[in-house]
Amino acid sequence: MSIANQPRVPTAWATIGPFFPQTFFRPGDNDLTRLTPEAPQTARGAPMWLAGRLLQEGGTPCVNAVLEAWQADAAGRFAHPRDPAWQQADPGFLGWGRAWTDAAGRFAFRTIIPGGYADAAGPRAPHINLTIIGSGIMGRLATTVFLPGFAAANACDPVLAALPPALRPLLVAREEGVAEDGAPRFALDLLLRGAPEAETPFFED
Amino acid sequence: MRVTLPDRFDPLDPATQPVVPIPGYPNTRFRNPARPPFRRGLTRSELTGPLDLAQKLRPGDSNLAVLAPGRMAQGQLIHVGGRVLDEDDRPVAGAIVELWQANGGGRYFHPIDTRAAPLDPDFVGNGRTMSDAEGRYGFFTIKPGAYPVPDSGRWWRPPHIHVSVLGPGTLMRLVTQMYFPGDPLNGFDRILLSVPDAAAQRRCIAEATAPAAIDGEWLGFTHDLVLRGRQATPPLP
Repeated sequence: MSIANQPRVPTAWATIGPFFPQTFFRPGDNDLTRLTPEAPQTARGAPMWLAGRLLQEGGTPCVNAVLEAWQADAAGRFAHPRDPAWQQADPGFLGWGRAWTDAAGRFAFRTIIPGGYADAAGPRAPHINLTIIGSGIMGRLATTVFLPGFAAANACDPVLAALPPALRPLLVAREEGVAEDGAPRFALDLLLRGAPEAETPFFED
Repeated sequence: MRVTLPDRFDPLDPATQPVVPIPGYPNTRFRNPARPPFRRGLTRSELTGPLDLAQKLRPGDSNLAVLAPGRMAQGQLIHVGGRVLDEDDRPVAGAIVELWQANGGGRYFHPIDTRAAPLDPDFVGNGRTMSDAEGRYGFFTIKPGAYPVPDSGRWWRPPHIHVSVLGPGTLMRLVTQMYFPGDPLNGFDRILLSVPDAAAQRRCIAEATAPAAIDGEWLGFTHDLVLRGRQATPPLP
C-alpha cells in the first residue's frame, strides 16, 4: 500500500514567554457561553463560574499565565464532528474561552454546567478541560476540572480514574457561593509545582 | 472547503520537544510539574475542540509593519508565511494563527518589558490571522531585534517571532517560536537548544524565501507549522 502523504513531525513547542500580548484579550473572551463578545449568552443550561488561582512552586501566584477552557454543552454535546450527535449541539454555545491570570494569579470563566456523556472509554462526568500556557511553561499543560454535586458520576469517570484515588479530589472544584450575576461559583486552585499530595495532576494526551 | 479533522494522536516524541528546566530561566523550574503527567484514554472532550474560533478571536491584523496609513515601523520589512499542516502533511484550514514579537530594537510593546531599548511609536507587534483552504498563513512585519535576558548570565535571545496556533481540536494546540536562518545567536539560545533533537531544532528556523517569489518591498521567510494529529484511516488515493 502506498502512503500518499509524507508524514511530518509536530513542531517543537516553546513558552509564550513573559510578553504574551495583553491586547489579545477582550472582554468576554473568558465567557464560554457566547459565540462572540457581543453575542447573547446561550439560553440553554445552568450558568456557572469557574474561578481559582494559578500557583507556582512555593504557592506564589503565577502571574500573566493564560488558561484556555473547553467543555461540552449542557446536554453533553460538542459542536465538532468527532461527536456523533454534533448536529444536536447547542448552536449558541461556543464551549471555548480564554482567561489570563492577574497579579494574584486569579482567573475566572463564565460558562454553563456541562453535561456528561457516554463514551467508549466509560461514562464521562461533567467536566471542563483546561490548557495552561505561561512564561516558563514549555509544553501544553492539560488538566480537567470536575464539579461537586456529581459524586456518583465522578466516581465512574474514566479520566478521574486514571489518577491514584488520593489525588482525585485535587481536580474537583468546591462550590463557593454565588457570583454577582447570581450564578453559582465553583473554585479550584491549580498548583503547577509542589509537594506530591498538593501538586495539580496533569495529563499527557 | 475541505476540513481536516485528525482522529489519531500519537504521543509526541520527547526528543522533539523542550526539556526543562532551562538555565537562567527560573520560571521553567517554578512552573513545570515535578510529577510526570498521567496517561489517559482520549474521549470526546479531548478529541474535539472549537471549529469556529474566528468569531471569538478575530483575524485581520496580518500587517504589523504598518500601524496606520503613513505610519511604518522601523526595521527590515519582512514577510513570514507558510502552511499550517498536520502530521499527515494535510493542510489545516481555518486555524487561528497569533503572532507577537519584539520591535527592531529588541523591545516588546508590553508593560513588563522595561528595558532601556527604545520603543517604536509605530510598532505594536501583535497580529492574528487565519489559515486558508490550503493551510496557508502570512504576516507582514519587521525583523525583530535580539535582546539580552535579564539576570540570566549573558543569555541573548536571537531574533524570534512567537507563534500561537489554535487548530480544530485542543490536542492540535501549538505554541512555538520561529527563528531566522543564519543568525549567530541561534546556536547559543537556551530555548532553542532545550529541544534535544537537532532536526527538530532546525525545523524551528525559517527558510529564506527566494527574493523573486515575493514583492520587492519585503524580505521573505517561509515557515511551516506542523500540528499534532493524523487520520486513523488514510484516504484512498
